[in-house]
Amino acid sequence: MKKWTLSILVLALLAFPLFAGGQKEQAASAGNGPVTLTFTDWSGFKGHVDLLNSIAQAYAQQHSNVSVNYVTIPFGDYVSKLTLELAGSNPPDAGWLVETSAPTFVDAGVLANLTQAVQKYNFADFSKPAMKLWEKSDQVYGIPFSTSPFVILYNKDLFKKAGIGDPVELAQKGQWTWADFRQIAKTIKEKTGVFAYEGPDGEGYGARVWYTLVPIIRAYGGNAWSATGACGMASPEAVQAVQLFHDMIFTDKSVVPPGDLSDFYAGNAAMTMGQISRVGKLQDASFAWGLAPLPTGPAGRADVIGQAAVVAFNAGKHAAIASDFVAFMTNEENVTKMSEYFPPARLSVMNSAAFLKANPLIPPEIMQSVVVAAMKDGTVAPYNANFPKIDLVSRAEFDKLWTPNADVKQVLTGLCTKIAPLLKQ
Amino acid sequence: MKKVALPRAGGRAMQESLTGYLFIAPQMVGFLVFVLGPIIAVFIFSLQSRNLLTGVATFHGVGNYLRMFTKDPLFNTTIANSLVFSLGVVPLNLVLALSLALGLSGRRTGTVTYRVIVFAPVVTSAVAWAVVWRFLLQGQQGIVNHLLALLDIHGPNWLREPSWAMVSVIFTRVLKNVGMNVVIFLAAITNLPREQMEAARVDGAGAPTVLFRIKLPLLAPSILMVMILTVIGSLNVFDTIMLMTGGGPENGTMVLVYYIYYNAFQFFDTGYASALAVVLFLVVLILTFLQWQMRRVVSYYES
Repeated sequence: MKKWTLSILVLALLAFPLFAGGQKEQAASAGNGPVTLTFTDWSGFKGHVDLLNSIAQAYAQQHSNVSVNYVTIPFGDYVSKLTLELAGSNPPDAGWLVETSAPTFVDAGVLANLTQAVQKYNFADFSKPAMKLWEKSDQVYGIPFSTSPFVILYNKDLFKKAGIGDPVELAQKGQWTWADFRQIAKTIKEKTGVFAYEGPDGEGYGARVWYTLVPIIRAYGGNAWSATGACGMASPEAVQAVQLFHDMIFTDKSVVPPGDLSDFYAGNAAMTMGQISRVGKLQDASFAWGLAPLPTGPAGRADVIGQAAVVAFNAGKHAAIASDFVAFMTNEENVTKMSEYFPPARLSVMNSAAFLKANPLIPPEIMQSVVVAAMKDGTVAPYNANFPKIDLVSRAEFDKLWTPNADVKQVLTGLCTKIAPLLKQ
Repeated sequence: MKKVALPRAGGRAMQESLTGYLFIAPQMVGFLVFVLGPIIAVFIFSLQSRNLLTGVATFHGVGNYLRMFTKDPLFNTTIANSLVFSLGVVPLNLVLALSLALGLSGRRTGTVTYRVIVFAPVVTSAVAWAVVWRFLLQGQQGIVNHLLALLDIHGPNWLREPSWAMVSVIFTRVLKNVGMNVVIFLAAITNLPREQMEAARVDGAGAPTVLFRIKLPLLAPSILMVMILTVIGSLNVFDTIMLMTGGGPENGTMVLVYYIYYNAFQFFDTGYASALAVVLFLVVLILTFLQWQMRRVVSYYES
């Protein structure tokens, strides 16, 4: 009796993993029955939620059977949780996707083909550089809804205290190069005792290390890697750029050093790099602040933009309706609505007066001279289908840079050796 | 042993067996579905090449294991780090827990306060603990280095130097969990038979002799149990690493579970991650078995 029960139990268990493979239900969208689309995003901010709901309501007016359920997943876990939901039995129908995941998701074939859906409107209105990551073989898999450049946020009070002029004016006079930036940072640290610069989101030595270094490298004429996968991190331009930053940290001591948690938004650093979405954090700031362009270098301007797109998922039960909703969300009217928070990829909206006035915290002339100028000039951060692996390997190599006696050239050469095989794949 | 004639199946005995099974059924079903089933699934996945994102799964044989042992230098680093972490946490935790428990086992004033202080970290949120320690361990502004400076010691940048980062995570992990072991040891100490110690004192034994020759041997079963649990816990560490160092710097704190997480949820390579999980499972199983065998040596009063 005991042997039988044991064998039946074991057999039942062995059968379990066969079902664990995940059987995706291919239920066809019910013709005109009520449909609820699940849409994933990473922002619980009230302004964003109200905006998204208003778009869903507008869509419901034209398609009365469709309602949209927005699900918020925190940004840090967004990609892993989204992946798990897609593999599960109740996958979302559409959602946001950040540009660093674009190559992986596009190549994996999990994104619905939106080429048909975008024929409905003026698709050429989308700037070509913005669409680069989201198209493959002339097919569209995602529509960018946010093309947000990285700019310098600065503490006006600390600048005044250190006797430095306004960075926007300095930039217009051509006195806002990375060499100037270094000098200004040193002065601020000496005169105020406060750190002059903090890496983006305080993760300048961790998750945001590429955003910290690539703008400087590009300003000096280098690049992380070329389109063909040749590593550029060990080029003389890149070494020069990284050496500048290294010296700012360890020689000038003007940059928040590794392990130090001083924060710009708390007033403990004079400048940081960020996108305009970070401006929301400064609503109740105890200091006056402003936006300035990224410093230029010998190679001129080097703006970096971060992107997020709306996509639809093949795994969802209503892929066709979801694609239609995605197209609706990114039509001209809705992109204008969203431009209060999300810099648009549509040229017509980018150039409109409405966009310049969209954010109440940023004066229109700053939107024009800093934000729009960077959007037009900027390119996305380095991307590659293998980016997660490259990032893991690189992080360990970059860690070697953050010591006072680091040999920058040697470390970067070692970095290139390690990531070269991953870049080619 | 004499053979006893068992009652025939059916009737009272059958009913009793059935009641027994029904009582344990909820727990067993939960165990089978949520523990044993997934473990078997992981074994099967480890023989496959799977992608979490695309859902594609193809049979790969022992490819994942070969890759792990021959083509993945980071795996060797990870195993080494996991072992170093355990070797740091377990002795420190045990010695500290035992010392605190012995110190707190008397009935002096203030003992209750000390017990609360010692146990408070256990119930603190792991995230809060990690965040606060990150502030305390800052290179220049951290309080730890300020205090060391008072003693004329120049503290390192704790979380940004590979070896010191490992020391830091070991230390913060021990501080967080030692309270739990203290509580277990306190219970064991309270239950120690008084006769042996009184007899020893009557025979003229001093406190150290009583401690090392009588108390500790009597506590040996508890120490063994706590050691087994602490070893298992230390090999499974994840939250401390993720929240404090992210595996760095220079992969100096990359431990096995964090590496498994990275492979599964950042690289979407669930086949390889499953293989790593199988290796972890076997390591923990072997270590636990070895420690369990030690009970014959250390347990004087078990038959």
